[in-house]
Amino acid sequence: MVLGDLGKRINRAIRLMSDATVIDEAVVKEMLNEIAKALLEADVNIKYVAQLKNRVLNRVKFEELAAGVNKRKMIQGAVVDELCALLDSGRDPVPLKKGKPNVIMFVGLQGNGKTTSCVKYAHYHQRKGWKTALVCADTFRAGAFDQLKQNATKARIPFYGSYTETDPVKLAIEGVNRFKLDKFELIIVDTSGRHKQEKALFEEMEQMSEAVNPNDVIFVMDSSIGQAAEDQAKAFRSSVSVGSVIVTKLDGHAKGGGALSAVSGTGSPITFIGIGEHMTDFEPFNTQSFVGRLLGLGDISGLMNM
Amino acid sequence: VMSFFKGLAGIKELTKEDLAPALQKLQDQLVGKNVAVNIAEQLCNSVGASLEGIKPGSFSSVSRLVRSAMTDALTRLLTPKQSIDILSQAKSVKKNEKRPFVVVFCGVNGVGKSTSLAKVCFYLQQQGLVVHLAACDTFRSGAVEQLRTHARCLKAELHEQGYNKDAASVAKYAITTAAKSNADVVLIDTAGRMQDNEPLMRSLAKLISVNSPDRIFFVGEALVGNDAVDQLTKFDSAISTLAPPQSVPRHVDGIILTKFDTIDDKVGAAVSMVYATGQPIVFVGVGQTYMDLRKVNSKALVNALLK
Ligand SMILES: Nc1nc2c(ncn2[C@@H]2O[C@H](COP(=O)(O)OP(=O)(O)OP(=O)(O)O)[C@@H](O)[C@H]2O)c(=O)[nH]1
Ligand SMILES: Nc1nc2c(ncn2[C@@H]2O[C@H](COP(=O)(O)OP(=O)(O)OP(=O)(O)O)[C@@H](O)[C@H]2O)c(=O)[nH]1
Ligand SMILES: [Mg+2]
Ligand SMILES: [Mg+2]
Repeated sequence: MVLGDLGKRINRAIRLMSDATVIDEAVVKEMLNEIAKALLEADVNIKYVAQLKNRVLNRVKFEELAAGVNKRKMIQGAVVDELCALLDSGRDPVPLKKGKPNVIMFVGLQGNGKTTSCVKYAHYHQRKGWKTALVCADTFRAGAFDQLKQNATKARIPFYGSYTETDPVKLAIEGVNRFKLDKFELIIVDTSGRHKQEKALFEEMEQMSEAVNPNDVIFVMDSSIGQAAEDQAKAFRSSVSVGSVIVTKLDGHAKGGGALSAVSGTGSPITFIGIGEHMTDFEPFNTQSFVGRLLGLGDISGLMNM
Repeated sequence: VMSFFKGLAGIKELTKEDLAPALQKLQDQLVGKNVAVNIAEQLCNSVGASLEGIKPGSFSSVSRLVRSAMTDALTRLLTPKQSIDILSQAKSVKKNEKRPFVVVFCGVNGVGKSTSLAKVCFYLQQQGLVVHLAACDTFRSGAVEQLRTHARCLKAELHEQGYNKDAASVAKYAITTAAKSNADVVLIDTAGRMQDNEPLMRSLAKLISVNSPDRIFFVGEALVGNDAVDQLTKFDSAISTLAPPQSVPRHVDGIILTKFDTIDDKVGAAVSMVYATGQPIVFVGVGQTYMDLRKVNSKALVNALLK
């Protein structure tokens, strides 16, 4: 499903190259152009695509290839490595501590799926035995509290919010404190959508983060986003300490490369993906097994260490 | 590249090979501005074809020629060919047919359908029209309350029947009731759906077939990348191919491009969307308040793309 087409195209490009009688620089370049096109069509940031092309070229030692090492494997290895580098933040997800109050704040662009993912995330952990609660700190969007309330009620998760309070920071503090008192282990704070061009919205997010001092800030990003992904992701990271990324709406047709660029933008790993509108349309995400599946290579840990 | 070709200018006719480097550079620029890859490629190919065989004047470099041809092509594409004035269209339907003008808002999840509907309501009210809203997203949590909040702020009448109702019948009821109370316009909100979700697309096609709206607006966000083309073409084709038998075939009649305030100069989605079906951008959303609705400025768009 996810990014499936991209995997097929990358594999085909690699195969075509290894069918060539002589593998010289021109043949490798042609393969890289094919891969670059596939990545661009999947919305991977154009800067990273150029970078990937150069890095692979620099790594492939044509003299050694001539001496008869397994060319296909060597080049494939280089491509896979670079793709993984693109998807891998190099950081582990923030660990949650059982028996302690873990405050998790959800942030992201408007309409990217924060509220939906908050509840999915809460539901996922509640089923694993965490004492979980939701705080609605979106006082801006029409119907925001009703949305969270209805979803939380369906999932039988305690929630906190208000129809009349207009200060989201105040609400966040009240909600978090109340659930801390009641010894909740996972306190999830939903916030309004915002974007880097509007300073006041980012300041509000900073204040909220200072006030509730979250253990993790989760950046939620829509998989269909294009070339603007990285700028926005970077801006969120430099404003609050984003620790994980959730990529949503991967049940659609989008190939998700834009959202994956958000990984490089935030320097944080993707921890979950959203694959539908329903509560259970939510999966944990592991970068390496994902790239392996993507390229149809099975477990790639062997390839990675070549 | 520029200085190299300057030497050739005026001497020989341009060949594909002369044009290729400048076209590739332009294509990369368009992709960087978030134009879908295939569309950037097609645009560059047709600009290339139009310049092949031309003898450049002595002062023009190839890259300048290519850019100027692209400016023309993009301006032509982004300038609406048909009228996008829904105000006068709404007025004339009301006057001549004595019924409200009906607009359906559709698109994938979270792009800004309900917010855009509220903005369009505000715009039409400012022009003196009486606008009613129909809450036909009967699926997403909070969708009805979201529209009720907008209706209250805008003092517009809301027609709703709660959740889990057949959206087509809610729309029918809304249009009938609005007509009885002599409303000028009915704006119909629908649930977000993914373009590949056939059951949901079929239900949208049914809503449209049953209610024959005057306009079907596709709402898409300026943030979207290559998926823009697929979204728009699939919505456009689904509303005719998945409609109940004997329905009048319908198409998307216009685009509302939202979140334009979040993309800086990466305005390429506008190109992808207009190219996909040839339908014009009727409104651009530039923020989260009722006032943040604009008509498209094709010249500014082209400038941002080629800057
Ligand atoms: N198909 C699909 N839809 C999703 C997914 N996640 C969220 N959505 C839908 O996307 C839309 C927006 O989701 P919200 O959770 O309201 O997004 P948000 O980020 O909270 O929005 P704001 O609070 O307005 O910024 C809703 O229609 C959701 O049902 C997903 O994984 N797949
Ligand atoms: N910055 C910005 N935000 C916008 C714009 N238009 C809508 N939004 C925001 O995007 C989010 C989603 O808007 P909605 O109108 O709920 O989107 P929708 O398409 O109706 O969503 P679903 O019904 O869940 O599919 C909200 O937070 C809106 O305030 C815009 O032009 N600019
Ligand atoms: Mg929300
Ligand atoms: Mg809506």
